[in-house]
Amino acid sequence: MSMFKVSLICSLLLVVFGAARGFLGRGDAFRRKVSVELNPGLAPPLSLPPGVGLVHLRGLGDNDTLHFVLCNAGAPALLLVHSNSTRSAVTVDWPEFINSSSAGSLRVEPESSVTYSSALVFTRLWEYDDVNNTADPQKAAESSFYPPYELQNFVWSELNTTLNQSEHTVVLCGGEKTQSFSNGSLCLQVSVFESQGRDEAWPSLLHNANSSQLRVWINGVTPRGNNSRFILEFQSVGDAGFQSRVDMRSSIDDEYTPSIFKVSEWVSSPVNSSSVWGFSQWKPVAYRKARPVFEDATACRHSELVFVNGTPPSAVIQAYFTHNTRIYGLNISFGLAEDPVFYDATKYISWTVLMGLGDPPSDSFSPLIIIIITVGLVTPLVFIILGGVFVCVRKRTSQSTAYEPIN
Amino acid sequence: MADREEHQGLLDGDRDEDEGDKAPSVHLNPICDPNHLLHRILVLIFMCFLGFGSYFCYDNPAALQSQVIQDMNLNTASFMQLYAWYSWPNVVLCFLGGFLLDRVFGIRLGTVIFSLFVLVGQIIFAAGALANHFWLMNVGRFVFGIGGESLAVAQNTYAVNWFKGKELNLVFGLQLSMARLGSTVNMNVIGWVYGRIQMSMGSAGPTTLGITLMIAASTCLFSLICALVLGFLDKRAERILNKEQGKTGEVIKLTDVKDFSVSLWLIFIICVAYYVAIFPFIGLGQVFFIEKFGFTPVQARAINSVVYIISAPASPLLGFLVDKTGRNVMWVMLAVITTLLSHMMLAFTFWNPWIAMSLLGVSYSLLACALWPMVAFVVPEHQLGTAYGFMQSIQNLGLAVMSIAAGSILDVRGYLFLEVFFIACLCMALLAVVLLYLFDYYKEGGLNLSAATRSKRAKPE
Repeated sequence: MSMFKVSLICSLLLVVFGAARGFLGRGDAFRRKVSVELNPGLAPPLSLPPGVGLVHLRGLGDNDTLHFVLCNAGAPALLLVHSNSTRSAVTVDWPEFINSSSAGSLRVEPESSVTYSSALVFTRLWEYDDVNNTADPQKAAESSFYPPYELQNFVWSELNTTLNQSEHTVVLCGGEKTQSFSNGSLCLQVSVFESQGRDEAWPSLLHNANSSQLRVWINGVTPRGNNSRFILEFQSVGDAGFQSRVDMRSSIDDEYTPSIFKVSEWVSSPVNSSSVWGFSQWKPVAYRKARPVFEDATACRHSELVFVNGTPPSAVIQAYFTHNTRIYGLNISFGLAEDPVFYDATKYISWTVLMGLGDPPSDSFSPLIIIIITVGLVTPLVFIILGGVFVCVRKRTSQSTAYEPIN
Repeated sequence: MADREEHQGLLDGDRDEDEGDKAPSVHLNPICDPNHLLHRILVLIFMCFLGFGSYFCYDNPAALQSQVIQDMNLNTASFMQLYAWYSWPNVVLCFLGGFLLDRVFGIRLGTVIFSLFVLVGQIIFAAGALANHFWLMNVGRFVFGIGGESLAVAQNTYAVNWFKGKELNLVFGLQLSMARLGSTVNMNVIGWVYGRIQMSMGSAGPTTLGITLMIAASTCLFSLICALVLGFLDKRAERILNKEQGKTGEVIKLTDVKDFSVSLWLIFIICVAYYVAIFPFIGLGQVFFIEKFGFTPVQARAINSVVYIISAPASPLLGFLVDKTGRNVMWVMLAVITTLLSHMMLAFTFWNPWIAMSLLGVSYSLLACALWPMVAFVVPEHQLGTAYGFMQSIQNLGLAVMSIAAGSILDVRGYLFLEVFFIACLCMALLAVVLLYLFDYYKEGGLNLSAATRSKRAKPE
């Protein structure tokens, strides 16, 4: 009996402690030391074509290393490689890489330390004329689609000017050499983090040291139709032993992304297992202004996940993946059905996705909310208890005085 | 809308003296005979529809939340200004409404004037949308607000004048139900009207919104016609029966405020803290149900109106219950706690919101029945007018300020935080109720007595 009691109390304490830890968001105090390097090991006379670069973002943990490689030779891609060694390094065989990007020209060494690798490739930007205003490309007629912009043909601005060593971010902006992009560009911002936190700018996704954040924005591009909406096409590349699925999770917490109660998670787990090894996470929201207010939010929706045959046109993918891969494709489309506002209104749309290792982070209540609720509920409760005691005592005494005259 | 109606039943219902206004029997058709029940029923119908327009139009913004925000290109904070501008004039008018009716205009002219304000306000509001000027819409709401609350006072005065000593409580109940009906019909119909106009216009925009609001204004025109007919019938009755024009009988003396007891101030705090968590929430509710619970706009408007729907039949029933049992403080505490629970359900769970909203509807009605009559227990009769005026005034002030605050919170921190804000308000109301109970217990006041003890005390030994 007493054993039962003790275990009950222990488990209760554990629950309370765990809840408090979870609530206060201190569950993930894990840190990495991040360093950023442009074109590691590339020395003259060798050079990459203008506007092309390879950025290595290295997150050094206590007993492992997380490598992110962003490269815009071909379609821009972000490669994630996890190694359980603290001395692992990215080595590029530059002559090979520049000439043919043949498999094996980019390696993480020692190769035996690599536990997980996956990549996200931005292949195309689609545009369609949403005449019926459904904001759903699946319902749009085939003829309403314009020829897609191939991101592998884009001309990019120099990477070394946008590399921020202290914030661990890099911005990649580019466009096609056509009229549409004369005043506009598609930009990608990649950030890697040393510890848990979130960006000030919406959607303020919660990130940790195991994740990198990608913000995509399409700014000032001249639309080709009156009711143009855009779609981003992605491919994910992973080892053949892994499979992907996209889940939509509901969350009661919208304090960091007002009025958004859903989170989409594209997770990859080993075949025959449900444990999650890597993820891409986003909220179904996009913003129509660079400094958005509440009303500038619009929806985004993702398509079904499809298998893709053939390696995506990205140098870093071709150079890194030597063995069998499994490739999925996914489209993200922007806009809200029956919303009279199309891309043309602000000529801006931005969308943010988190890519990382392990389980995707999940939001918890902010300390402010916990404090307000606690203080709010505890104060009346204290008064009820104190008042109850006071009333009881008073009733007792008044009863006893009532009997006194008999004596 | 501020609960002007609820307390009137108590104020005037207690003075059920028979005036013996038997007129010389004139042979008239029963429906035309001011003494006959049939005629009074006819009058009652006009009386009920007198307030229909203002209740219908009050919640137009809530029912068209996303359309107003989109068409006028607003953020939520400025959207909530539409409610704030309604409340501002009533911070002052709660003191003045009775005075204006009694001394300046008289009930008949006063009613027509206030109905005119309501109609003109709604037309300005709609014109603001047509002209795509948001400031003009705010002006419209301000003018509308001047008429709205005072019209409720006029409506009650008419009721007392015609039904005193007869079916007065029933009439108050019916008027209240009618008010809720107006709100409900608005919530469920106006979105559909907007949709039809959008279809025939081919697109949405300020013009669509303006036309929709103009159509809504027809209900105010209808109410104005009721006011004119009532004025005519009342004048006629006065001539036939030789009776006096109705008076609100409210005497407002602002210097009374310094004599208000601690209990009364606690009741004020409960009133403000509680209603702040109800009306701004309904004003912002529609999009919340769409975003969080995936409702369609039609469903969202329906659930948003359920508080009013429940209130219509529940108010008289719960009022009867509270009257029979007494123990008002406990009822108020129960109402605050259930409201707190339903807000917590909305904030922290994905449970079907119909549960929470129905609970909210019942507790809201319960609070109205238990809270407003308490004022009469802690204030001497000659200060009642001032106390109620003051209570409504700060309620309107609270609503005006908190509407804007709620909009801003939503814009920056989202719905969860907004709900937490409402929960904090309710916690404050709860704290005030607990303190009220303790203070009343300590002072041996009569707020929480059962009805039986209360009537025993009332009889002089």
